[in-house]
Amino acid sequence: MPKKQNKTKLFLLVLIPIITLLSGCEFKDIDKDVFVSMIGIDKSEEEDKPYKITLKLYVPTASFKQSPEPEYSYISHSGETLTEAIRILETYSDKELEFGHTKLIVIGEELLKENKAMELLDFLMRRPDIQLISWVAVGRPSAEKIVKMIPKGENAAYPALFNYFDGIGTESQYIVSTYLFDFARRMKESSIDIILPIIEVKKEESHFEVNKSLIFTNDGEPHELDTYATLLVNMILKNVEVADLFVKKEGHYFFTKIDSIKSKYKVKILDNNQVELDIKIHLNGFISESKKALDPEELTYYNQLFKQEGKENFVEALTELVKNGYDPIGFGIDYKARTWHNKRMTDEEWEEAYKNAKIEVEVIPGLKSTGAIQ
Amino acid sequence: MSSKDSIKWIYDQFKDTNELIEKNMEYDNKHLLLFYIKSLIDMDMLEKFVIKPFFEMSSEEQLNLYLHALPQFQEITSKEQVQLEVMKGNTLIVIQNEYYLLDFRLSKNDEVNQTSIETTIHGSQLAFSDNLATNINIIRTNYHQPSLTVEYIVEGEVNQHKVAIIYDKDKVKTNVLDTIREKLQKVDKQLISSTTQLNNYINDKPITIFPQMIMTERPDRIIYNLAGGKVILFVDGNPQAVATPAVFFDFMTTMEDNYHTFVISLFLRILRYAGLFLSLLLPAVYVGVTSFTPEVFRTELALTVAGSRVGVPFSSFIEVLFMLFFMELLLEASIRLPKAVSATATTVGGLILGTAVTEASLASNIMVIIVSAVAISTFVIPVNEMAFSIRVVRLLLILITSVFGLAGLVLGFFVLLMYLVNMDSFGEPYLRIYAFSKNKKSSEEKT
Repeated sequence: MPKKQNKTKLFLLVLIPIITLLSGCEFKDIDKDVFVSMIGIDKSEEEDKPYKITLKLYVPTASFKQSPEPEYSYISHSGETLTEAIRILETYSDKELEFGHTKLIVIGEELLKENKAMELLDFLMRRPDIQLISWVAVGRPSAEKIVKMIPKGENAAYPALFNYFDGIGTESQYIVSTYLFDFARRMKESSIDIILPIIEVKKEESHFEVNKSLIFTNDGEPHELDTYATLLVNMILKNVEVADLFVKKEGHYFFTKIDSIKSKYKVKILDNNQVELDIKIHLNGFISESKKALDPEELTYYNQLFKQEGKENFVEALTELVKNGYDPIGFGIDYKARTWHNKRMTDEEWEEAYKNAKIEVEVIPGLKSTGAIQ
Repeated sequence: MSSKDSIKWIYDQFKDTNELIEKNMEYDNKHLLLFYIKSLIDMDMLEKFVIKPFFEMSSEEQLNLYLHALPQFQEITSKEQVQLEVMKGNTLIVIQNEYYLLDFRLSKNDEVNQTSIETTIHGSQLAFSDNLATNINIIRTNYHQPSLTVEYIVEGEVNQHKVAIIYDKDKVKTNVLDTIREKLQKVDKQLISSTTQLNNYINDKPITIFPQMIMTERPDRIIYNLAGGKVILFVDGNPQAVATPAVFFDFMTTMEDNYHTFVISLFLRILRYAGLFLSLLLPAVYVGVTSFTPEVFRTELALTVAGSRVGVPFSSFIEVLFMLFFMELLLEASIRLPKAVSATATTVGGLILGTAVTEASLASNIMVIIVSAVAISTFVIPVNEMAFSIRVVRLLLILITSVFGLAGLVLGFFVLLMYLVNMDSFGEPYLRIYAFSKNKKSSEEKT
């Protein structure tokens, strides 16, 4: 069958050049790579070399049973640009630096204040082996301190810090997790602001604290959210599934354990470039702690108290954000999505309107029990 | 042809053997001439059915009628037949000018074997025997259909083996049957001794990785295949039958599926396919991931792999090939060895070599685990022929992965799929899934 043979030949002729184009990655044995666990980027003290990069490198081990202690090595270097610093860092290691397993990028607080985020992002996004699903966080006092610290009880090969963000370890309500892709999106999009968790190490302490967050616009000064405000923003953003909230009203002081949170937000356009931010949040759970004895019959009353308290707290926290023009929740995007392009305000007009927006919060409480057995 | 000429012709034919026995008996006006080969016939039967009656019967006519009535009686059509049948164990009887053949064949190989290749926990433990007649008897006792047809062809110029073509006339695909008959006629070989040999001779494409006929020793599988409209080939003296056309999924079923409840057999089937993919892809994936894209691993695993490779002098693909080579040697050795020794060989090979190799850091721990996992999952494939094919394909996939990484593996797997799709077994697409077949007649699952 000559025809069939011709077809086979043609197929091979096409296939072989295509295969050679499939270069992909080069052949390199895994033991000739060194895996980077975290990247810390700080402001350096030298004038002409503003970036100081610290890399945390895993030391491979054949058996974690034989060496359960975490082992890392660190290299750091300052450079005029990030690429330059990394190029020099490559000469500090006998093996190829492999960023494929980098899970966390810590940016020093000092550097963020300098408004260099855009430059950082460019490098992080362009480098192909840095995964877009790495987390981005702010390091206080410096990224280097955070990267170099190993808290007690840390497992080998899985830095404790990752557990804060992956939602598998601690599931605290005060932790914001921001992925690199989300960071990039918030950075490039004008009507949503960046929110990053702050990792703190206090002096003479051997553990991290992750319970605050930092908000910053593309050009403005960063704004720090305290622990409670972080929680409320987290709840609106649906980042958390459980939360503890308190009610301190009319002589009562009790804590609620919320195990189901549903929130909705929307921008309503009133007349004269006036907007209203509409937030509806369902909070279901039970009362977990109280200073006074509670009567299960009075659950409706406690719900009312919870509703008022919740509303006040949300309005207070949001007002502060809105007044300063910070928008981590993305009302601006919501507005853009719902308005025709020819009827839309300009970005400047929107910012103005946002600062003067009315805030309408509706808390729908669902306390199911006082937590006590009748 | 006169009687004397014929007898002379027979003498001529057998002049080279000293085993042909000629018996001339005369008694009471009766005259009988016997030719047989002593080592081939059953003496007791000859004595009981021919010699005794000869002396007891009153006339030659009566003896003549009696011999005609015997179930072993066979009519003669040609001189060549006489020669052939005598060589097979028939006795030639000459009375006056009449020639008869009586089948007093002695076969010591008609006992049914125990299953040794396709063993099961449940179900029959008996396989076919080495004797063709017994095998056909087994099939007929299990498959009661008048449409079951057996055809015989003699193959092999030297050894003149009988080949049986068995099929269900109502269900078989006629074009498949015709091709097989035609191909069998064309086989021109000196020696045919096994059914698998036919597999190689009557296929269109003799050089192929995957088998196009399924070889089996289990009567229940043959019955299952007969009911599915397949053609079965038997060679005398061979306990294995081949069934054709065979598709890929035939090789992944075991007869044990029929002995389990639905859920269990579904579970076993999933397990089997998982084993298939594991044994096919695992070594290649190891090469691809460790050497090209370590990001795919979890961090802990990447570090463990990297750590366990410390001190290993080879690249990952050499390591894989090296270990697989030893595994294949071990498999081959344990087949060839006597049963008593083979257990020792596996222990020495598997345990001691495995540990020693990691101790000497010729291969990483992870590699030893992978090789053993691959070896075990290869055994899950129920039909041995397919397991051998998979072993070959696996090597090809490792080669392409060593050059092109995971992208190459995907492409290689794709090429494998295309190859399978392009293949056919006697006109039947190789990757055909019978459960979704539109043609009800050929549906095996529905019968």
